[in-house]
Amino acid sequence: MGGAQAPAMSPPAIKKGMGLVLDQIIFALLNGTIYGLLLFMVSAGLTLIFGMMGVLNFAHASFYMLGAYFAYTLEPLTGFWIAIILSPLLVAGIGILVERYILRHVHAHGHAHELLVTFGLSVVIAEIIKMAYGKFAIDYRVPVELNFAAFSLSGIDYPFYRLFMGGIALAMFIAIYLLLTRTRVGIVVRSAIYRPQMVEALGHNVPLVFMGVFGFGAALAGLAGAVAGAFYTTNPNMALELGVMVFVVVVVGGLGSMGGAMAASLLIGITNSLAVGSNFMLADALALVGLGAWAQDIGGLLTTRLSSLAATIPFFIMLLVLVVRPSGLMGEKE
Amino acid sequence: MKLGPISLAVVVCLLLAMPWLVSGSFLNAAIQMLIAALFAMAFGLLCGRAGMLSFGHAAYFGVGAFAAVHAMNAFGGEGLLPTPLLPLVGAGTGLVSGLVAGYFSTKRTGVYFAMITLALAELLHALAPHMKAMFGGEAGVSSFRMPAWGFSFGSITEVYFLTLAWTLLSIAALYLFSKTPLGSLALGLRENAHRLRFLGYNTHALGTLIFAVSAMFAGIAGALQSLNIEAANYVVLESHISTAVVLNSFIGGVRVFLGPAIGGAVMTFFGHVTSDLTRVWLLYQGIIFVLVMMFMPRGIVGEIVDRFSAPTRAGILRLLGDICLRLGAVAVAAIGAIFLIEFLQRLLSNEYRANVAAAGWPDITLFSMDWSPLSIQPWGFGLGLMAVGIALVVTINRRLAARKEAEA
Amino acid sequence: MAFRSYARGTAALALVMAAGTAQAEALKIGLVETLSGPQASTGLLYRDAVLYGISKINEAGGFGGAPIEVLEYDNQGGPVGAADRVRAAIADGADIIIQGSSSAVAGQITEDVRKNNLRNAGDEVLYINLGAEAMELTGSKCHFYHFRMSPNAAIRVNTVLDGMKEAGALGTNVYAINQNYSWGIDVQDNTVAAASALGFEVVEETLHEVNKIQDFAPYVARIQQSGADTVITGNWSNDLLLLMKAASGAGLDARFGTAFLDQPGNIGNAGAVAEGHFVSTPFNAEVNAEASSAFMEDYKSKTGHYPSYVEPAAVFGIQLLGEALAQVEPTEDGVDATALALALEQATVETPMGVVSMRAGDHQASLPMVVQEVTRDAVYKADGTEFGFSPVKVISAQDAEQPLQDSCEMKRPG
Repeated sequence: MGGAQAPAMSPPAIKKGMGLVLDQIIFALLNGTIYGLLLFMVSAGLTLIFGMMGVLNFAHASFYMLGAYFAYTLEPLTGFWIAIILSPLLVAGIGILVERYILRHVHAHGHAHELLVTFGLSVVIAEIIKMAYGKFAIDYRVPVELNFAAFSLSGIDYPFYRLFMGGIALAMFIAIYLLLTRTRVGIVVRSAIYRPQMVEALGHNVPLVFMGVFGFGAALAGLAGAVAGAFYTTNPNMALELGVMVFVVVVVGGLGSMGGAMAASLLIGITNSLAVGSNFMLADALALVGLGAWAQDIGGLLTTRLSSLAATIPFFIMLLVLVVRPSGLMGEKE
Repeated sequence: MKLGPISLAVVVCLLLAMPWLVSGSFLNAAIQMLIAALFAMAFGLLCGRAGMLSFGHAAYFGVGAFAAVHAMNAFGGEGLLPTPLLPLVGAGTGLVSGLVAGYFSTKRTGVYFAMITLALAELLHALAPHMKAMFGGEAGVSSFRMPAWGFSFGSITEVYFLTLAWTLLSIAALYLFSKTPLGSLALGLRENAHRLRFLGYNTHALGTLIFAVSAMFAGIAGALQSLNIEAANYVVLESHISTAVVLNSFIGGVRVFLGPAIGGAVMTFFGHVTSDLTRVWLLYQGIIFVLVMMFMPRGIVGEIVDRFSAPTRAGILRLLGDICLRLGAVAVAAIGAIFLIEFLQRLLSNEYRANVAAAGWPDITLFSMDWSPLSIQPWGFGLGLMAVGIALVVTINRRLAARKEAEA
Repeated sequence: MAFRSYARGTAALALVMAAGTAQAEALKIGLVETLSGPQASTGLLYRDAVLYGISKINEAGGFGGAPIEVLEYDNQGGPVGAADRVRAAIADGADIIIQGSSSAVAGQITEDVRKNNLRNAGDEVLYINLGAEAMELTGSKCHFYHFRMSPNAAIRVNTVLDGMKEAGALGTNVYAINQNYSWGIDVQDNTVAAASALGFEVVEETLHEVNKIQDFAPYVARIQQSGADTVITGNWSNDLLLLMKAASGAGLDARFGTAFLDQPGNIGNAGAVAEGHFVSTPFNAEVNAEASSAFMEDYKSKTGHYPSYVEPAAVFGIQLLGEALAQVEPTEDGVDATALALALEQATVETPMGVVSMRAGDHQASLPMVVQEVTRDAVYKADGTEFGFSPVKVISAQDAEQPLQDSCEMKRPG
């Protein structure tokens, strides 16, 4: 596999090589899926809140960060499991306070103001975290009992914790789906998304529903943070790093659509993972029409490998979706 | 409050006299303030007047900045144009990039429009490091202001006047633009695009045009920045530049003509002063922004204009009295909050934590007094002031509301 | 009336005092660092180190009989803020500008200083770069008034490879994974260049986006696929942590040679994941233990923490500056930057690691490097964990030195 010319392969070696490539693809798909599921965990709450209240909540990724920091703080006192249960509840509390005392106050001034006030909040939260926990990453880690390899393919271990995160995300998706479609509360919530006045006229307390949804959405982000913070890193910039990506997921999926968010998360996770593994560059495509040498001369973007542009792909996808099908993959509202 | 010709003349004279009134360090800040003001005005045209919230205006600012820096370096450093005319390059590239980007983004409205602008800006930001010839490496592209028209452009004062001239010209142009039919149509676009379409206007072309004009002025602001710092770096394309202009404009008041300019200038000045005073100035900035959005939704200038819209002599005096009362109350609460934040910041700092481990809980010096974190005084002082201030604000508001009701 | 005459009297007194001290006006140093925002963490470390270093010079008598004044400016993390603050510092009378935490900011400052000196001949200022390691600062952008006190990409890479080879940890298949900007590219180029001399093969090079990747598992899969046994990376902060965690999770059997593994928080966050990996830095407290631990304790007593990461090299840099200052005479408004620059080219300082000096050709500091491994046996533990950095090999300043870059055409005064 090295840079040197590989000698002519014997049939068993080819077979082994094929197996290796297959394993690589399986890993790429698995990695992409798990990363996509993480994106889903954070964006689920965001899309729910948007669908219901029309608010693109800039502070949503901050709830993700708060979840991680709360879990880190609680872990020494309660142990890992209780910490990842308590931390989302705390985040939900903060979400409810934000909705009740800040967002509701701004609601009358329009969506732009709601969006901007949440942006201000995200700055405030990040600065408070820095004050309280310092500016460097903290040592929030995967607990030892969960830190083992689930299985191994052609010499590469697959960490159990990744599967664990994916499992939680899937459980979350199923639970939300059942909650929205099978329960009375879910019916009220879904109708409040489409016809808030009508629901209010029917005697439901819509502001309370809004508050509940906001708190629930925040809790989902908090849970994602508590679980993923241990695996990735917990630092004061983690909200910034994930924030924009979560927006992309929600827009691509279709604002307010839970299934869309899931589809978009997986799409972005998997394309990202595959792009990283590829050496493709524009010059290769031009070589097909005989312009390869010219492209090599030009250099710059034409000879930049796809793997080093992986992080821009989600934005390409978002632009494409917005221009071609603005309501997103599965969105209904525009 | 109409900005009468007299007050306008006074402001312009003050701006012209600035180099003799303030120190060199402040003159620097004044240049940055002018640039931020112009950038915010460009954004204000798009967002305030035409109702299109862009999250990617850093792109056009950055395009203007890089165009200007390359123009300065053209012909072996001789420059494409004489130094004072270089912002034209920024204007041109801003306009062209605005036409292209505007064509795509104004196909959609609302959140979708915002997301397209965000995606375009993020793409440019992500691709910029790969295009070294255009955007330089990490250390950026550097340039040199050449003498022209009898000026050396070596001193800050000359740069200040150059920036001032361009900013005032651009703001005047923006004002005139708002008086043209196109400017009025922009308002229509914000208020009721459907109706405009029924009246036979091509709203997409209209939106694109206004977007391009806004990008053009953003490009001028970018070019002025390149002229000022004699360099451009791809960090000007970062998303926080885009969000800063949104925040500045809304703090000033995005729907009043000079609101964004004043917001941009004030917040730049705020950053200039506070960043050297406290390490948590971003926290204060965030808090101010949240409070303005909550309690002054029209922005600072917007609120003032609103209050002074029908002035009588007695009315103005009373208003001033009310405002002073409110400001006093807010100041009390603010002092309490600042004390608490600064106290907490010192208490939680690494240096202090290290001291705690070594020497117990030493006193913290703040407001030139020593406070023991274990005693009740600092907490009582901070929280007390805050509570008193907030109570005062609430009481004043109630009283004023009651008076208003009695009058009505 | 009474007040006015009092005021007059005070003014007169002030004038007299000013006249008396005109010859020895305190030397002012402008520290233009990133003190707020996402990148402030490193900026604050530089601040601690500079304040410590200057306080040592002041304890020894300061400069020209007066203590040196450090003026602090927050560059707000970007070139625009830095340009503004450099001007402010010069306007406030600073003769020396100090900065370290970002190459983007350094690129702006070094150019600003160069232009300022062109425009104000005879009243130059000096730029002491404590840690911006981009090669172009001592390459195409080098000039007479810029001095870099930290190692650069070439020194970091070559020393870490050297030390790993000595420790038997350098394999034959090396993978270079770096951030896609000038620093990462410099590290990659130097890794490739060192291949034949040290007898390894670079099996693959990868550049990825800076601080945007959340999930490094796909990259680790690539490393695994390439059959690499050693990974050389210039990544810092989150990009390093996430890469190492993903590598450990996948059970990747490769040693990492890094440049910034010692950043505070890294070992705490990575834990056992970091064990057995390498880093090359200008300081390790176990080398020359007696002198080093004295320095460690003294630093801690002043700042509240042991020096780590960029701090020791920054302190050595300030010491070197102090040596140069001792060789020049104070002028009316502080110091003659040209004379100071010439003195700095000749200055040497004895540090616990060895002799640190300044190379006149490109103003790159020549300093000893210590290659170290993360182990459990280290004397000083990092981030309160059971791990620390154990020295593997000390490389003297001469051996660590890398050739001058051809792109540096320095115009000397006179």
